[in-house]
Parts: sequence; structure tokens; C-alpha cells
Amino acid sequence: MTVSIDQQQEPKRDVTFRVFRFNPQVDSKSYFDDYTISVERGITVLRSLNYIKEHVDASLSFRAFCQAGICGSCAMRVNGLSKLACTAQVWDELAKCREPGIIKVEPLRSLPMIKDLIVDMDPLVSKMTHYSNWIDSTMPEAEMGRKEFLISEEEFERYDKATDCILCASCVSECSILRANKEYVSPAVLLKSYRMNVDSRDSIHDLRLSELVKDHGVWDCTHCYRCQESCVKSIPIMEAIHGIREDAIASRGAKDTSGAKHAEAFMEDIEKKGKLVEATLPIRTNGIVWTLKNLLPMAVKMIMKRRTPPPPPLVKSSKGIKIFRTMFREMSEHVKEDQKSHKK
Amino acid sequence: MKPFDIVIVGGGGAGLYAAMEAMKTNPALNIAVLSKVYPNRSHTSAAQGGANAALGNKAKDDTVEMHIFDTIKGSDYLADQDAVDVLCSEAPKIIRELENIGTPWSRMEDNTIAQRPFGGAGRPRCCYCADKTGHTILQTLYEQCLKKGVLFFNEYFALNLSLNGSRSRGLIAMNMKTGKVEAFTAKTVIFATGGYAKMYWNRSSNAAGNTGDGQAIAYRAGIPMKDMEFVQFHPTGLRKSGLLVTEGARGEGGYLVNKDGERFMSRYAPEKMELGPRDLVSRSIETEILQGRGFDSPAGKYVHLDLRHLGADLILSRLPQIREMSLNFEGVDPINEPIPVRPTAHYSMGGIDTDNFGRTVMDGVYAAGECACVSVHGANRLGGNSLLDILVFGRIAGHTAAEEAGKFQPGMIPESEVKECMDELRSKMQRSGHYERYGALREELGQTLAINVGIYRESSLLKKGIEDISELQERFTKVRVTDTSDVFNTNLMQVLELKNMLDLAETVAVGALAREESRGSHTRIDFPQRDDEAWHKHTLATLVDRKLIAGEKPVTMGRYELQERTY
Repeated sequence: MTVSIDQQQEPKRDVTFRVFRFNPQVDSKSYFDDYTISVERGITVLRSLNYIKEHVDASLSFRAFCQAGICGSCAMRVNGLSKLACTAQVWDELAKCREPGIIKVEPLRSLPMIKDLIVDMDPLVSKMTHYSNWIDSTMPEAEMGRKEFLISEEEFERYDKATDCILCASCVSECSILRANKEYVSPAVLLKSYRMNVDSRDSIHDLRLSELVKDHGVWDCTHCYRCQESCVKSIPIMEAIHGIREDAIASRGAKDTSGAKHAEAFMEDIEKKGKLVEATLPIRTNGIVWTLKNLLPMAVKMIMKRRTPPPPPLVKSSKGIKIFRTMFREMSEHVKEDQKSHKK
Repeated sequence: MKPFDIVIVGGGGAGLYAAMEAMKTNPALNIAVLSKVYPNRSHTSAAQGGANAALGNKAKDDTVEMHIFDTIKGSDYLADQDAVDVLCSEAPKIIRELENIGTPWSRMEDNTIAQRPFGGAGRPRCCYCADKTGHTILQTLYEQCLKKGVLFFNEYFALNLSLNGSRSRGLIAMNMKTGKVEAFTAKTVIFATGGYAKMYWNRSSNAAGNTGDGQAIAYRAGIPMKDMEFVQFHPTGLRKSGLLVTEGARGEGGYLVNKDGERFMSRYAPEKMELGPRDLVSRSIETEILQGRGFDSPAGKYVHLDLRHLGADLILSRLPQIREMSLNFEGVDPINEPIPVRPTAHYSMGGIDTDNFGRTVMDGVYAAGECACVSVHGANRLGGNSLLDILVFGRIAGHTAAEEAGKFQPGMIPESEVKECMDELRSKMQRSGHYERYGALREELGQTLAINVGIYRESSLLKKGIEDISELQERFTKVRVTDTSDVFNTNLMQVLELKNMLDLAETVAVGALAREESRGSHTRIDFPQRDDEAWHKHTLATLVDRKLIAGEKPVTMGRYELQERTY
């Protein structure tokens, strides 16, 4: 069925929206519905969905509120990428279709499905609560409202970008770790945790950090950068994640958690040989007992399939290791200096 | 569910502040916040500008008294002066309190909270966080409520107050996730549901959900609405969506141009040109369009906001957000093309009639924020006073309810009432024969309001508006909800929102017809002057036996005598 969204002289195109459908009351599994409408330039994906809901199929369900890219309600996957439907231009999306003229619209990933394009946001709220994503002010409640904290422009800049986050959960949907482990803290919560931890008004930095370095925490991130690439507010989320890690190593010591030890072992190998000594990496990260208990069966399998990494003495240094070491040390010095000047 | 001491309806700035303050006042109370969206989605997040407070960080000679005077003058002397006293005196405390719990205010060179000038204010007293002030305040309040363990019922749509005679015994609401109607027996209920300007639909800058739910529920329960005719129009809304192009575009030197290529503001404000006050610029654009000098399109008539002469560099560095909006919502790049704009309904000054403590006329029922009318904005709200209003009076309402909850002993909400509500919702899905499309009704409501109850008002237009609204109300009885599922039925929710808008639209139009004068945002072509003798008073609209009964209420005066409002 083709219906027109706006009787205008402007050029128009027929566009098919292939929309994910699922109603838990009647559907045993999800499916896609195709809606073809005629769309002019300047119309967003959300306006198209609104049109479909009003004129074609009132049962199509999605969230939308401000419709101006501020509230974060309408995050969904358009042509495979998580974004706000209200700021996604149909004509731009047409250029990204896998099948010409067909825009695919799906719900966010890694959050429980409710209906059609609506997912449950409660897990994200629970994580915000678990990781104390709030300022616990150093000022006693009885004294509040009387005087201001004095905050420098530099401190403000440390959390300025992070406070742009509208919790749309696009990063949650794109995160590669969350797809494998739903308990993972998630990028948005790491970002908010970082923002709280660099705020001088806050009094529970250590408590928050001690939660962040536990299992499913900051060390589980694999630096795929998908969160940052998909952020609708262009927030450098990875900087926040690196910030928490640096903070964790600086304030709790490198030997404190397996994540920190893993990072240290990495650095050690690269400096020494220019490559990883994989055979001993698990032992140096988690200790001999843990490794024997958890990795022995896999090691046996690997031996059977002749896929074992070479033992440490056989790992030869990379070519040009001497020049590399000089460069590596120089870089490390720079990083240290940078960190010092950040602290100031 | 066990009875609550306080049920707060709405999770924006006013509702969250109320929750936080109520828990602080008495931590033993059983408090719930109901919101039809996750609280962090609330429309508070859209407020970019800031909140006024005479902190004196920027202008050392600023005083609370000057803030009071600016607000009263801005209201065209319709605000209650004792209420304005409260608003402005509490302002510095509330801004500091927000600062103390983590709001990332922008900073001055001496590390104090930054302030900037704003329209209608004699001193630069608007506290801000870049262009995301409302967003960061909302986040801070939500974070603090999570910290305090406030009990949230997210994605619950409020339906009715449950009444025992003329007393409230709580709220009835629908759980969107299950479609179940649930009873919230409560000693006190606070409405903090935001404004009603979305009734202008595509001619409104508001979020889709600003449909006046709290006001409509209170109105149907017999609680009076106050000054409903006062709706503020912002001059530059985008043609297709009504979304705002902020004043910054004109501040940087943008031109307003009609279809003859004229910078028409020379006719209306030869000196200030595009930088005249909001209401004047809105009226000027509307005049151009009415006199046939606007552009025409199926999405409506409009004028051009032309930024091209400013050059790509300036547009990219100083107005990046405006460019992005214009690209996203009109498909127009202001570097190469003018932006199509027209005035858009932006803010509702009217609302549930309350006293300075947030109390309504009904025992145990309170209201705060844009959904209430205390009144601090009178006939016209000043920029930077809306965020302040929700914070100050949200806090006060939370405090009052916490103190007074013990006074009320309502009975439990009977199961039969819940079932009745459920049956009524179901009946909307079972209509057969000829039925109306809710989308069409919604659009027609916005159209008739924009034309007949818009910027320029006149007796015959308003009468036509009232007729149209009454016809739409009649047609609404034939609207069918075609989505019959229980789970997250947004079709049903939108139909219920339409009902709320239709009920309130009548109060807006009737108030506008009654008020035979021009004051603040309310401009009558047939009564172009402010008439203090006959109309220096609030209008009330109360539903009695399903009929709107018009009433009035005196304005509380104070230190400031009536004067002409000139800038």
C-alpha cells in the first residue's frame, strides 16, 4: 500500500520500511512487516513511523517523546546501526540500505524485548544504581543551599562532554561485550561513573571504583570502540573508560585486580619482545591456581589440536626490537608526563 | 498495593524535586513517583537557556528585589506578587542546592556559577550549563532520587483521581507494560505533569507527551483551572515540526524575510528589527502570513529565517546546533538555504489553580511546575523563569505534602472502580461501525487552535474555535483504538492523551473569549488595549456536572502598582 506523507511539489521517493514486529501476547517469534510510503526530503525515520502508525497500522509500537534529539526515547536500530529515529533522515538512510529502497528498522540489542521496537530500560537503571551513578556530596545535607562549591573551568571540562549523555542506550545496543555478557557494566554506566569520579564534590570515589574493578566491570571492555562510534552525542566514551582504568592502576596498584595485572603483563611483553608471550599470560593475569582450574581442559584441547602457543623460551623478539624499545620507552615517558599534567 | 503517603504524578523537574524534598522532610513516608516515560526523558531536558537567580555572581549589584520586579512586569502585572516573592527569594538557595548535589553549572572566571543576560531581565542572572541546562538539572535530580531509593513506577499512564465524595483517595493508572489498570491509594497526590501546549500539535515546540494529563485529570475531578488562555508563542518554530530554532539565530544576526524578499521587521520594530521581544516578533510573522506575504506549502504557511549572509564559518562555529536541527528536521542546510519558520506554541502559563504551598482546593491534592498556576508568570513568562518555577514549587509541594499527609485518612480505592476503568478502556477497542481516526482529530485540533485560538484572537474566531472543539469532542466518542493488545498499547495511550487535550482546549478557548482585553501573550484584535479595570484578575474554569463554569479570582498585589509594560 502506497500512501503519501505530504502533498508537496518537492521531489519524493517511495520508501519501504521493513520493521521488526513482536507482540509477546500473540507471537511465538518475531517477524518483519513492510510498509511502503512516499517520503519527501527532510522527513525523519521517526516521522515516517508516526505516519505509518496514524495512517497504516496503529498497532506498530515504538517510543517517542521530544522528537528533537534531546530526550533519547526513540533509540532503535536503523539499517543495522543504533541511533535516534528522530534525527535520522530518510534520504540519508536510503544511501545506506543493503537492499535498495528498503530501510530496516529494529529494536536496540542487549536489552529485554517488550514489544516491536520497545525494549526494557530497567536493566540499565539497575546498573546505574549498582555503580552509584550519583554525586554523594561532601557537603552535609543540613548545610546545602547556603554556599557554592568553587569549581574551576578545568574541572568542569573534565566532565562537560560526559554530562551530554541522554541515556538513549545506543552504546548499550552496540557494545560487543554486552552481547556476550548481559551483566557487563555497559558503556553508558562507565561514562556516568567516570563523570562522578572526577567531580571534586563527590565523596564516594573509592567505593565506586572498587565496584568498577570487580567482575563484569571496567576491565571487561575490549576497546572495540563501537560505543563511541555510535554515540548520538559524539561523546568520547572510550576516554572515560581509559580514565577509569588509569585511575584504578594509579590508586589501587597494578597488582590489585586481574584486569590491571593483565594490562601490566601486556606492557611487559611488548617492551621485552615486541610481541605477546601468550602461554604464560593467563598465569600472570589470574595466578597459577586459577589457570590450572579454569584453563587446563582448554589447554589439553589445544594440545590435541596442535594449537598451543609456543613456550616462552621459543618466543623470539621481533625484528628491530632495539629501535622499538627506545621508541616504546620514549612513548611511556610521554604518557607518564601527560598523566601528571592531567592530575594537576 | 499498600497505601501511599504521597503519590507524585510526573517525573520531570517538579516531580523529582518534590520526591527528593518529601523524603528529606520525612524519610519514614511511603512515596511513589509515577511517570508515563522514564523520568530522564521528561520535557525538562529540553530547556536549554537556564534558570534565573539573583546570585550576584556576574552583576554584583543584582538583588532578589530586582528579580521580583522584572518577573511582575514581564507577567504584565497578572502574576500574584506574594507568589513571585517566594519564587525569587528561594531562587539563590535552590540553585546552590542543585550545585551542591552535582549539577554541572558552567563557571565564571572566579569559579562561581556562571550567569548570562536573558530577555526581560534587568541584570544578567540566568544560571546555565552550556545549552543543556534543563537536561543536566533533570539528570542530577534523577540521580539523587535513585540515590535516595525513591520508588518509581515508570511508564504508568495516569487515568483518574479516585474520589470519595469531594475527597481524593488516590490515583488510578494504567501500567503500560502490562495494560493493567492499578489503584494507588494515597493520602496525598501531587500533579507535576508539565504543560499543555502540545494541544497545538504540529504548531507546538513541545514533546509529544505534553498533553496536559495532570490538568485534565484534576479538571475532571472538579478542581479549577486558572488563566488557561495564556499560551506563549515562540517566534521561530520549524515549519514541519514546530520544533524551536533558538533565539541565538537572530542574536547572531539572522534575517526574517517574507516571500517578497523583504526584511519585514522594519515595519514593526525599525530599530530592534529581528531582536524585538518574543511576543512582538511572533505577532509580526503572523501578520505577514495573514496578509499573504508568507510562503505557502502543504505543511502550512511560513517565512524565511535567512542566515546565509553570516557565512559558513560563523554558522559552523557559533550556530552548530541550529544548523543540525535545520538539517535534521527540514532537510535544509542554512549555509545554502534559508530556514522555513513560523511561530510555535511553546509554554502554557495557565494550569491547576494552587496557593503558594502547592495546595489545590481539594484536600490532599497538590500541583507544581508548568502543570500548576500559582501564579508566577501571569500573562507572560520570562525566559529563565520556567526551570526556576518547577524547582522552587516542586520542592515546596513536596515539603507541604510530606507535612500534611498525616492529616488525611482516605479509604481504600474499591476494586470495582478499577474494573470500571478497565472496562471503559476496553470499550474503546470494541467500537463497531463508523469510527473516527484519532490522528485526524489531533491534527484538526491543532489546526483550529492555531487559527482561531492562536496569536491573534478575535470574538468570531474564538467562537468558531469553541464550536470546532465541541464538534471534535463529539467525534471523539467515535474514536476506535485499533490496537487491541495489552502490552505497551501506545495507540490507546495516544487516544487518552487526545481526550485530555480536547478537555483542556475548551478551557483555553473559553478563557480567551471571556478575556476582552490584550495582555501579555493574549492578543485580542477586537480589544487591543490592556483593561485593568475590567480584567486585572485571573480567570477560572471549573467542571461542574460536566459543564465548564467560568469564574474569576483577584490578583494578589504587593509593593508594585500597575504600570504600562514597555521595554
